[in-house]
Amino acid sequence: MKMTPELKKARENMDPGVITAEGFLGSDTRSLSTIIDEDAQLLRSFEINPADLAERLRHFMEEGRKGLGEPVTVDSDWLVKTDEARGHLVCPWEDGIFRKINVTVERKDNGEKLFFTDLSIHLLEAHGFLEGHGSSFRLEPESIKKILK
Amino acid sequence: MELLIAPLAIAGIAGVLAAFIVVVDMVANNYGEVTIDINDGKKEMTVRGGAPLLVTLSSEGLYLPSACGGRGSCGACKCKITSDVGPHLPTETPYMSPEELKDNIRLACQVKVKADIGIEIPEDLFNVKQFNATVKSIKDVTYDIKEVLFDLGDETVNFEAGKYIQLVIPPYNKIKGSTQRAYSMSSRPANRNQIEVLVRLVPGGIATTYVHEHLKEGQKMDLIGPFGDFRRTKSDSIMLCVAGGSGMAPFKSMLNDMLDTGELNREVWYFFGARTTKDMFYMDEMKVLEEKLPNFHFVPALSEPQEGDGWNGPTGLITDVLDSYLKEKINSEEKVLEGYLCGSPGMIGACNNVMNDNGVTQDNVYYDKFA
Repeated sequence: MKMTPELKKARENMDPGVITAEGFLGSDTRSLSTIIDEDAQLLRSFEINPADLAERLRHFMEEGRKGLGEPVTVDSDWLVKTDEARGHLVCPWEDGIFRKINVTVERKDNGEKLFFTDLSIHLLEAHGFLEGHGSSFRLEPESIKKILK
Repeated sequence: MELLIAPLAIAGIAGVLAAFIVVVDMVANNYGEVTIDINDGKKEMTVRGGAPLLVTLSSEGLYLPSACGGRGSCGACKCKITSDVGPHLPTETPYMSPEELKDNIRLACQVKVKADIGIEIPEDLFNVKQFNATVKSIKDVTYDIKEVLFDLGDETVNFEAGKYIQLVIPPYNKIKGSTQRAYSMSSRPANRNQIEVLVRLVPGGIATTYVHEHLKEGQKMDLIGPFGDFRRTKSDSIMLCVAGGSGMAPFKSMLNDMLDTGELNREVWYFFGARTTKDMFYMDEMKVLEEKLPNFHFVPALSEPQEGDGWNGPTGLITDVLDSYLKEKINSEEKVLEGYLCGSPGMIGACNNVMNDNGVTQDNVYYDKFA
């Protein structure tokens, strides 16, 4: 994939302090197009379909919201907690704004956790972007496979 | 030598262009001194133009609420502009209702002060101060909630129970700039030299991670406040308070304030939701308050009590418990019911619905919509 003007703009918006204080890339030094390409391959290698994953994450988020800020058991095996903070976040691609909803999905049998946000689901669904290595909200395919089974 | 001519020429041209840009910037963006008129002459300040209104005001000691530090992502720094500063920016409109757009309500972080300007803000904001506080103690009240007590030294804070303060989180680890986050004060207003907050860890959260993993007793931290409209009314209406987790903070402050100010007989029902006993806290403090405030009823409820919790109290989501108490236990025939909520937008929406369905009018439901 080439670094189009849209990707260049999105990449600039991912720096710390532009949309979020921490940014979206963590310690990843790869180009945005490389991150997206390599993560698409990684998802395929773990047999994870991005659309299915987005749907699953949205399910956890919506079920978690029913806990009204407290953790809630979802589908017997997961403990889900959603935290909603004031305000909104703009997508780095500038194609939508999203509530600041942080979701923690914890496997009840071993305590392993996955974090994501309302915006993470959009980034995955619309842009195939899982965030860079070292970013707090990176959707790491290996962890996804382990935690969501 | 010939090899150097081209790079040197390019460097020279670039230098001239850079100098030209600097000169143009100095001339074109030099707005000189401008006047900010606040609340139709109540206050006036002369400032250097060119910076965002939020930053300009804070540099003069006037602080508007802001949960994102001016990034335009929280929508908290709204104020009315009474002069022409151009149309709303695309970065502002998502945060504005049609009425606010019509009334020229703007986000102060997005409006640049380029000429004389008139603004309207709540007069309460004149009392907002920045404190350089010292962390006196940090206690774990649950596995994911810390009670942080700040000492203000010689400074004093004047606030009504229910208001919030902004913690200024300094840069740390990968976070380059400072960040501000709002937390309800849990301290009693009578204690004017100290501010207490409850901070629940949000995984990946900039401020909560800092407080939980980096903040130490004895450390200095800047606080800005007090802010907010959340406060109890001066009436004898029945108070229905609902919270979970760190939403406990404003109610701890209000109940202790009722004790301090002699408002002993008001009827208060406080519904506090948690998942298990691990998430429940301040039970002893609430018991003491029940003894001292004869018409105060603390109703803790667990949504998923575990085996071995030994829980005999109400179970289910706090909204269900509230609903059943409103239908079966709270007699509101002679008095007005008022709702007081502290929690996430989702929790507030759900409690609002239950209250409205049980005859609590929307005008009588109060909350600050932040987590």
